[in-house]
Amino acid sequence: MTLFLSVSNQMDLINEGTILIGMDYLFFAKYAPLYYEGALLALNIAAISVILSIMVGLCCACIHYYKVPLLKPSVSIYIELSRNTPLLVQLFFLYFGLPKMGIRFESESCAIIALTFLGGSYMSEAFRSGLESIGKLQLESGLSIGLNKIQLMRYVVLPQAFAIALPAIGANIIFLIKETSMLSVVALEDPMFVAKDLIGMNSDTKEALLLLVVTYIVMILPLSLILTFIEKKVRHAGYGH
Amino acid sequence: MLDTGIKVLFEGNNITRLLDGLWVTTRIALISVILSVFFGTIIGIGWSSRFRIIHVFARFYLEIMRIMPILVLLFLFYFGLTRIAHINLNAEMASIIVFTLWGTAEMSDLVRGALTSLPKHQKESGLALGLKSFDIYFYILVPQAIRRLLPATINLTTRIIKSTSLVVLIGVVELLKVGQQIIETASLLRNQTAAFWVYAVIFLLYFIICYPISQLSFHLEKKWQS
Amino acid sequence: MITLKKKILSLVLSFIASVGMGFSHQTNAAGFNTLDQIKKNGKIRIGVFSDKPPFGYVDSNGKNQGYDVYLAKRLGKDLFGDENKVEFVLVEAASRSEFLLSDKVDIILANFTKTPERAEKVDFAKPYMKVSLGIVSPDNAKITSIDQLKGKKLIVNKGTTAEIYFTKNYPDIKLLKYDQNTETFNALLDGRGAALAHDNTLVFAWATQNKGFTVGINSIGDHDMIAPAVAKGNTTLLNWINDEITKLDKERFFHADYEATLKPIYGDKVDPESVVIEGDTH
Repeated sequence: MTLFLSVSNQMDLINEGTILIGMDYLFFAKYAPLYYEGALLALNIAAISVILSIMVGLCCACIHYYKVPLLKPSVSIYIELSRNTPLLVQLFFLYFGLPKMGIRFESESCAIIALTFLGGSYMSEAFRSGLESIGKLQLESGLSIGLNKIQLMRYVVLPQAFAIALPAIGANIIFLIKETSMLSVVALEDPMFVAKDLIGMNSDTKEALLLLVVTYIVMILPLSLILTFIEKKVRHAGYGH
Repeated sequence: MLDTGIKVLFEGNNITRLLDGLWVTTRIALISVILSVFFGTIIGIGWSSRFRIIHVFARFYLEIMRIMPILVLLFLFYFGLTRIAHINLNAEMASIIVFTLWGTAEMSDLVRGALTSLPKHQKESGLALGLKSFDIYFYILVPQAIRRLLPATINLTTRIIKSTSLVVLIGVVELLKVGQQIIETASLLRNQTAAFWVYAVIFLLYFIICYPISQLSFHLEKKWQS
Repeated sequence: MITLKKKILSLVLSFIASVGMGFSHQTNAAGFNTLDQIKKNGKIRIGVFSDKPPFGYVDSNGKNQGYDVYLAKRLGKDLFGDENKVEFVLVEAASRSEFLLSDKVDIILANFTKTPERAEKVDFAKPYMKVSLGIVSPDNAKITSIDQLKGKKLIVNKGTTAEIYFTKNYPDIKLLKYDQNTETFNALLDGRGAALAHDNTLVFAWATQNKGFTVGINSIGDHDMIAPAVAKGNTTLLNWINDEITKLDKERFFHADYEATLKPIYGDKVDPESVVIEGDTH
C-alpha cells in the first residue's frame, strides 16, 4: 500500500536507472516484493483448492465407479456444468451475482469455491480414467483370495489407479495454478493484479509485464519439470498397455 | 425484486446485444481453432519426424505455452507488443493471435502423440511400396491419426471457447462486457438484482455452446476407441 | 502429388499472409495520428467509458451515451460534418493512458482528470468539467469523515484519482480495488467495503439513483479539472481540440450538454456551475 509514496520519494533515483536500454532496473528491485506477495497469495489459494479438488474428485470418481444410485446423476450434472463453463464467468456469478440473492462470500472464499468447482471435475476425470484402467481380472483375483470390497479398493485398485492418474493430476495442479491469474477480478492481489495496478498507476508497462512473466516462470516451471519427470517414471512402470 | 431483475434482459435490444456478444466470442474461438488445427498439424508432423532441431524447438514452444497463463499472454500481446516492438494490434486481433499460439502448441502435441502412437509397420510398409515420406504422411499416417485426433481436437475447441471469456479483460466487447454494460445501465434504473440474472444467463449461454461440442467429442471417442 | 504439395504450400502462405495482415497496422514513428492523418483516415478514434453513467455508458440499444459522448459526437461533427465518423473505443479507468501511449485511440474523452503524473505521459487539452473526490456510503453506516475509515475497507476503481489519492495520503486505509465501475459500485451494493471513493460528480449521480446510499463526504483532495487527452506531442490535434473548446464555450455548448445528459439524473440537487467549466474560468 505504501507503493505510491515510495514512487514519489525515489523519483530521482529512477530517472538515473532508466538510462540503460530504456529499462528501469530499480523498478525491479522495488516492485519484486509485491509480485512475491502476489505469488504467495496465488499459490496459497491454489494449494487449498488443489487439496479440496482432489477430495471432491476422488469422491465423484468413486460414486461414478460404484454407480451409486441418485448420487451418480447429480455428479454427472456437476461435471458437465463445471467443464462447460468458463472460470471467469463462474467467478463473476459467485462474486457479483449471488450477493443479489443474499448469498455473499468473501474474495478468498469465492476464489477457493470457484477453483474447487472447476478442479473437482478435472480431478474426477483423472481418477476415473485411473480406476477404469484396472482390469476385471485383477478385481476377480482380489476377491478370490478373500479380500473384501474395502480391502480390494485400498490394496489393489487405488494404488494402481493413483499411479496411472498421477500425470493427469499433476497437469491439473499446474492448470489450477495458472487459473489463479484471473483472481484479480474478485479483488485478490495476485501477480496479475499487481501488474495491472502498476501499469494503471505509473505506466511502466514493459517492466511490469517482464516481472509478471518472470513470476509465473518461477511459480510454474519447477512443477512442470517435476511433472515431466513423473510422466516418464510412470510410463516405465506402466503395464498391460 | 425477482421480476424487475429478469425484465432487464428484455429491455431495448438487450437480448440481441447479448447474442452479438456471444458471436464475437465464438468468432474469436472459431478463427483461432481453425488456425490452430492448421499450424498445429504442421508443427506436430515436423515434431514426429527425425529432425532433432524441430524436437527442441517444439518442446521449448510447448513448454512456454504451458507455463504462461493465457491472461498473461493476452496482456503481453495487447499492451506489451505496442510498447516494445511498436506493433499495434486491436484487442480482437491480439486475442486471435494468443489463442492461435496456445491452440497450436496444444494441437501439435496432440498430433505428435497421435502420429507416434501409430504402429511402426505402417510407415515401413509404405516405404516398402516405394512411397516418398511426404506421401506416407499424407496418404497413410495422417488419415489414421485423424481418427485418434478428432475427439481431442473437439475437446480443445471447447477449451478455447471457454478461454475466450478472458478477452473481456483486454477490452474486447464480447458477451461478458455486454453483460456488464447491461448491469450498469440497469443500476441507473434502480435495478439492483440485474447482476444475478445477467451473469446467470451468460453462464447458461456458455453451457449451451460448449455442452453439445463436448458431448460430440465424448461420443466420437467412445465410438472410435475400439 | 506435386499439385497437392503446391496446394498445401500456397495455403500455408496465404494463412501466414492473413495473420501478417494483423500486424500491418504499424504505428508511425511518432506513435500517433496527426490531425491531417485523421482527416485522411476519415474517422477519429475516441476512447470513452462504457460503464460510467451518466458520463459515458452504453444504453439498452447498444448506443454510446453520456456527457463525454455528447462532446465526442460534436467533435466528430465539426471535423467531418458527421457525428457517425467517430469510432468509439471503450476503455477502462486503469488503461486510459495506455490506450493513448499505444496508439489505440486518438483522443481520450473518458472523464480523465488532469494530474501532474498523467501530464507527464499524455497531453491534456482545455478542461470541460470540474471534479474532486467524493465518498458514498450506506445510510445506516454513513461515513462523514475520513477518520471513520481507519481500519475499514474503502472501495476504489483501479487507476483513478481516488486510488492514487488514498494510496499517497492515507496508506493505512485498506483499499479494495476493481477494474471497472460496474464492479466497483456493485461491490458497495454487496457491502464488501464501508464506503466508496470516486469522482464526486459520479458518486453523486449514483447516490441519487440508489436508495439507501448517501454521499457523506462531498469534496476532498484537490479541485481538479477533467479534460480531453491526446498522445504526447500530438500538437496539431491538441490545438484543434483547444480551438474547438474555445468555440464551444462561446455557444454555451457545455451547459446544453449538462441539460441533456446530467440534469435528468441530478435534477435540481446540483448547481450546474459546480460541474461545468465555461468561459472565464479558463
